[in-house]
Amino acid sequence: MSVFDFASYAKFRWSDMVLIFRAAGLTLQITLISLAFGTLIGLLLGIVRCSKNQVLNKLPLLIMEPLRNSPLIVQLFLVYYGLPSLGIRMPAMTAALLTLSLNTSAFFAVLVHSSIIAVPRGQWESGYAIGFNKLQVYVYVIARQAIRLLIPQAITLYISQLQTSSLVSFVSLQDLTKAGQIVAQKTLLPFLIYAIVAAVYFALTYPLARVARYLEKRMGFTI
Amino acid sequence: MAMIEVKNVTKSFQIQSFDESTKKYIKTKLTVLQDFSVDFDQQGVTVLIGPSGTGKSTLLRCINGLETIDEGDILVDGMSVRDKHKLKNIRLTCGMVFQQTVLFPHLNVMQNLTLGPRKLLGMSMAQATDKAKHLLNKVGLISKEKARHFELSGGEQQRIAIARALMMDPKALLLDEITSALDPEMTSEVLHILEDLAADGVCMIAVTHEMVFARHVARRIIFMDKGAVAVDADKDEFFTVHRKENERVASFLKFIGE
Ligand SMILES: Nc1ncnc2c1ncn2[C@@H]1O[C@H](COP(=O)(O)OP(=O)(O)OP(=O)(O)O)[C@@H](O)[C@H]1O
Ligand SMILES: [Mg+2]
Repeated sequence: MSVFDFASYAKFRWSDMVLIFRAAGLTLQITLISLAFGTLIGLLLGIVRCSKNQVLNKLPLLIMEPLRNSPLIVQLFLVYYGLPSLGIRMPAMTAALLTLSLNTSAFFAVLVHSSIIAVPRGQWESGYAIGFNKLQVYVYVIARQAIRLLIPQAITLYISQLQTSSLVSFVSLQDLTKAGQIVAQKTLLPFLIYAIVAAVYFALTYPLARVARYLEKRMGFTI
Repeated sequence: MAMIEVKNVTKSFQIQSFDESTKKYIKTKLTVLQDFSVDFDQQGVTVLIGPSGTGKSTLLRCINGLETIDEGDILVDGMSVRDKHKLKNIRLTCGMVFQQTVLFPHLNVMQNLTLGPRKLLGMSMAQATDKAKHLLNKVGLISKEKARHFELSGGEQQRIAIARALMMDPKALLLDEITSALDPEMTSEVLHILEDLAADGVCMIAVTHEMVFARHVARRIIFMDKGAVAVDADKDEFFTVHRKENERVASFLKFIGE
């Protein structure tokens, strides 16, 4: 059957479109929740990474390195299929949110850490020289500059995590990718359906990419 | 009691060095200041000179609590730098300006000046702005109050940094080679400002190799060598007696082209 065999398009119903849009909602929901938690946990891990205490600043690596150096799909299987054998059972949604949140936090922590240490040492010293204590230097001087470095990179991470969230379709969650599969199989119109699915992903991420580029231009400054 | 009392201070750094016999990197101790003592009164300009690596910057950084000292004590207005709770007041007492300017790049000139007084001295925005305008006038940069750091020349940035330090009403300014990264024209701009301030009676402790400045403005000259005070003299005495009689002073002054 060719893409131009228009008669077959009759098998594609409005209800299929509704299914796809609903699923896009789930993808968005999973992504937003896990990005929110991932950002919070990542912020914490990243700040601890910047500690001067040589033991303390290594601790976050215990969580970050395994998460950054194994495929997300394996992490997801480990939580959803593996943990039950230890007696820890959770719904697919919980497993997906947990895994995606932690995974995001590991990458976010790296961004936080690198943004903070990218602020030159002289900035700390000027802050101290004025009379600020460590917390005040962090808040009034370092954080303000680190955030400008962080935001465009964070958005790039968010975009990539939104797309990676398609992996939750492997643990029986009906997200955008899964819905695409279902509708494609039903209608036998894989090209059209996956093109629509891709377009929906594009519509979700492209505005973010534009915002990132805008901020990069506006906030980018030489220290 | 002197305003700043440096009493038998020893300061060393841990450094990596290569051990030829074992072919390994080892940690060694580099002692920069050894049983070092000096007093500064709140009077006029003291110029610190000496060969590179003798610990001039280290001394200023220890006074301001940016480095911790191993032994001895430093009292600023009677407050010990060893007392963590006193650090804030010590730093308010001694403003510091560095060689490489470090304006806060996320803030414009006015915000750079008002941040400290608003957060630390409880000034209102209006009070801080008034004061900042006064000081910007003094350093001749009132027209730049809205400028960002990348719109300013190196000399202008240093003048802003001086104004920023003065915003906190310090009793003394610690200046660490603040003109050595500048070209001659910008250097003289900055030195003019320092001369004006000296004429107003602002107390300064300045590391500088600008001997013309030292001759004009300094009251006292300290020549540091190998982590110790080699000469501590009145300006006139330094440039006459010590220059003639002290070989190290003579060769150093010759070396820097004086
Ligand atoms: N943070 C540090 N870690 C290790 N060594 C240091 C550190 N800071 C300074 N030193 C060393 O201490 C010695 C004194 O340095 P300092 O910067 O005080 O010298 P200086 O008199 O200011 O020299 P210059 O005229 O070149 O600025 C130098 O040998 C320097 O390498
Ligand atoms: Mg120095």
